[in-house]
Amino acid sequence: MNAFYDGHVVIIQATFVGILLALSIQVPLRLGVFSFAGAGFYGIGAYVGGNVVIRADLQAVPAIACGAVAAAAVGLVLGLVLQRLNGLYLAMATVAFDLMIGVVAVNGGEWTGGPTGLYGILTDLTLPIILVVVGVFLVAAELSERGRAHRRIEAVREDPELAASMGIRVGAYRVVGFVVSGLAGGAAGAMNVMTRTTIGPADVGFGLVILALTMIIVGGALSWKGAVAGAILFTWLPQVLTFVGEWQELVYGCVVLLAGIFLPRGLYGLWVDTRRRLAARRRPPALSEQAHQDVPQEMTS
Amino acid sequence: MGGGHAAAHGTTRGHTVQEVFGAVSLGSLYLIFALGMSVVWGSVGILNFAHGAIFMFSAFLCSQLLQAFAAPFLLVALVGIIFGAVMSVLVQVLVFQQIVARSTSERSADIRILIGGIGAGIIPLAIAQHVTKNQPFGLQESSFRTTIWEVFGLRMSNVQVATIVVAVVVATASGLWLARSRGGLALRAIGVDPEVASMMGVDRSRLAIGTMAFAGGLAGLAGVLLTFQLGALTPHSGDALLVKAFACVILGGVGSTLGVVVGCFTLAAAETVVLTQTSGQWVEAVAFGLIFAILVIRPVGLFGRQEVRRV
Amino acid sequence: MNVQRTRGTRRAGVRTAAVAASAGFLLLVSACGSSSDSAGAETDGKLPATVTIPVTVPLTGAAGFAGTSAEKGYDLAVKEINDTDFLGGTKLALDKTDTKSTPQEAASSLSSAIADKATPAVLGSLLSAESVAQSPLAEKQKMPIVYIQAGSEGVLVGDYTYRLTAPQPSYYPIIDQFLKDKGAKRIGIIYGSWVPTIKQLGDESVPAAAKDVGAEIVEKVETQQTTQDFSAPISKVLAAKPDVVAVLQIGAANATAMKQLREAGYDGPVIGNSSAGAGSLKPAGADGAGMVWPVDFNAASDDAATAKFVDLYQGAYGEEPLPYAAEAYDATWFIARALKDAGTTDRAAVKDAMQALVKKPFSGALGSAQTFDGNDLRVPGVVVEWDGTAEKLLYAAK
Repeated sequence: MNAFYDGHVVIIQATFVGILLALSIQVPLRLGVFSFAGAGFYGIGAYVGGNVVIRADLQAVPAIACGAVAAAAVGLVLGLVLQRLNGLYLAMATVAFDLMIGVVAVNGGEWTGGPTGLYGILTDLTLPIILVVVGVFLVAAELSERGRAHRRIEAVREDPELAASMGIRVGAYRVVGFVVSGLAGGAAGAMNVMTRTTIGPADVGFGLVILALTMIIVGGALSWKGAVAGAILFTWLPQVLTFVGEWQELVYGCVVLLAGIFLPRGLYGLWVDTRRRLAARRRPPALSEQAHQDVPQEMTS
Repeated sequence: MGGGHAAAHGTTRGHTVQEVFGAVSLGSLYLIFALGMSVVWGSVGILNFAHGAIFMFSAFLCSQLLQAFAAPFLLVALVGIIFGAVMSVLVQVLVFQQIVARSTSERSADIRILIGGIGAGIIPLAIAQHVTKNQPFGLQESSFRTTIWEVFGLRMSNVQVATIVVAVVVATASGLWLARSRGGLALRAIGVDPEVASMMGVDRSRLAIGTMAFAGGLAGLAGVLLTFQLGALTPHSGDALLVKAFACVILGGVGSTLGVVVGCFTLAAAETVVLTQTSGQWVEAVAFGLIFAILVIRPVGLFGRQEVRRV
Repeated sequence: MNVQRTRGTRRAGVRTAAVAASAGFLLLVSACGSSSDSAGAETDGKLPATVTIPVTVPLTGAAGFAGTSAEKGYDLAVKEINDTDFLGGTKLALDKTDTKSTPQEAASSLSSAIADKATPAVLGSLLSAESVAQSPLAEKQKMPIVYIQAGSEGVLVGDYTYRLTAPQPSYYPIIDQFLKDKGAKRIGIIYGSWVPTIKQLGDESVPAAAKDVGAEIVEKVETQQTTQDFSAPISKVLAAKPDVVAVLQIGAANATAMKQLREAGYDGPVIGNSSAGAGSLKPAGADGAGMVWPVDFNAASDDAATAKFVDLYQGAYGEEPLPYAAEAYDATWFIARALKDAGTTDRAAVKDAMQALVKKPFSGALGSAQTFDGNDLRVPGVVVEWDGTAEKLLYAAK
């Protein structure tokens, strides 16, 4: 076990960072906000985190906090500025934001290390610290998927007008979505820069948007469990595919493609379905009928 | 080898004209690539992430074909169009239709179509990378040779002229067709309200295949034209263009032919201005900053309809 | 050449070729006779029957081309080391991991290598982005690592990190002679500043060369990773009426920039960088002809050690070696010599042996009697010209 951990420490750390990155895109999506700003927040968190370690000699925890807060602050501004945008127009505006972060990274002089990036960012970051940070976000996500909070989030996503008429401040929810996305993305970026000790413009590009989107859609878009499943799958898949040799990219593409076609609600949806089917087999038919009705419509999407 | 190599660039004014021509030619290329994508997106509601890979792979297949014999320009272009159209239809039938068939809601289908497109795009990319080892490939084996014409000090290549002509013809034709013909009407109807349209007898899946073929054909043509113009592509050339095309389509407003035309030329002009008037390092920031700013002011793009659906 | 593949490199990068310089032969001679025989005799007792060296290079992804070329160099060196029984009864083996051109894979495969206590040293990546992720790990965990290419800052960070490729800016001044011959007075620069080495060449090396020959930089335009059409920057540079144009790009951009430069009516001299090598200019056809650049290795070199390597390589693979292969070959030999001198697989002892090696001249595929600057190789370099179909050697450093 220990040998396995030592040999795979980078991938294990990357998995947890991946979970936070996926969450940062999933949180606004659950609110019906099609924002990809999480990738940009990740970049901000990484560069801010890297800078406070190099320049102010901060240790891991305060550096993660700095990265997360900085990204959340940008998220707040972005949420307010983009309030009127929706759907793919919002998606494109946030992708433009992500790409601008990349350009700033290339041209930021000594603050970003230019095209080379920052390197040699060494801290006391350990796996327990990563676990605690990720755990905090996951607990918060779980709470938001229960009871009143869950119903309100649902209403904001499925029918904003109805939600507004029920006295839910839809605009505020959306802005909060951006801020939480900033916190998660920023923390992910800051932890990433410390586990890898380096960050460069290539690490914050469009590819990150694609990766995060793939993780949450294939994992399951509406529950944090989906984000976790997706992050684990797509962090470990390249490792597992090594045996395919030169054609691993091709296999990777096929996996994404097939998951898109055959897993309409992602891995998490598959798990829920399987569990329900097993339960139905055990229960009397009448009950299982009812269980079916209980399945919330919102699982789709 | 003294000075005077830049003979063609006598005056500052001639210089500006040259740059304007360059921007028009660049915008035309963006247009050929983005137009079909915009039509598919605005009508049958498919945002195809594999579009960039189809563009690149058509050019790549042409370059492979040219290893066998030196085909002339028109033949290469035609083959590129066919490759692009076939790949695009395959993606539609094998991927997007399957996704729609397994979806409970339109929203669910939309977002999974993005993922399906991403996955489908990786496959040709992986093949091209494997064959080229990520080295640039070109169409230099074609019997076609770039010629430079000089008109009043303005230098233009035959490829640039062809690109501009194709862009003008295709944009005008598709704009007119969408506005005037029955098929165009059906497409516009489905873009506004798919349910009512299908009740009126519009066959959505046939239209989807038709528009995807059109978009793929144009992507293939753009691939061939760009490769002739630039001399070389790499397997990743489609990625950068895809992001720019999203930007052009969104900038103008999804579903508007005029919008995508304006979007493409705005982006090309903005890039040219930054590259020629500054040191060039902020070119991408300006292009995307412009998109960001326009969307903040006009949340549905310059010519977008408020009620455009999708996600 | 080095560097180019640095961060980010989506379009590929480095290519190369080159020339090199060359130098002498002796590769085998010095290898077998190895100056430091002192430890050699005792090795049998301390080195295990097989020593496995992990190789962590990108075989796929953006830098796959360079990686697969380097792979041939590693294999060739190992075969030769074992055939000549250089380690006295100990066989050398390679354990290759594809880093897929991603820093994460590179760091991950290195941590696996470190976890295996039997590993005495690692052959590191050739991509800067991957290497800067590997170096802090190697240094912290005290694992000797030997890179090729990877020219960015942050790759060499201490006694455990070594690079067997001279960074391009270190030998770029060799271009001065060409500029002088052409009577350069006005130089225009079009450079992809998003690549670290290219940025350094455009901001420092070319201006320094201009200063050496009394020319001025009349215009300088930066292009970005997504720039595919170079007509606007070219138009801007030509407006300043340069008599030499520096086109510093990587991958397909070299071919495109050359084609569009010629189409814009410029027929004068063009200087470039080593990423224009390895056939990158082929797609430009005749328009690519006339680009001239300095490189660290060229198979046509008359250096005896280089010639020996080229013969061996051609015998094994039936093709001309690219610089990656030459550098990889030297990197492998560097580790083998350190192992022999150390006589043990203890990492600290191997590091000490490497420290001793870099104090002395090193002979290998890149040439006879090369020197080190710290842990970084230095070569004199050569200048090559692309004639539209192939590279030809213009001149070597004096």
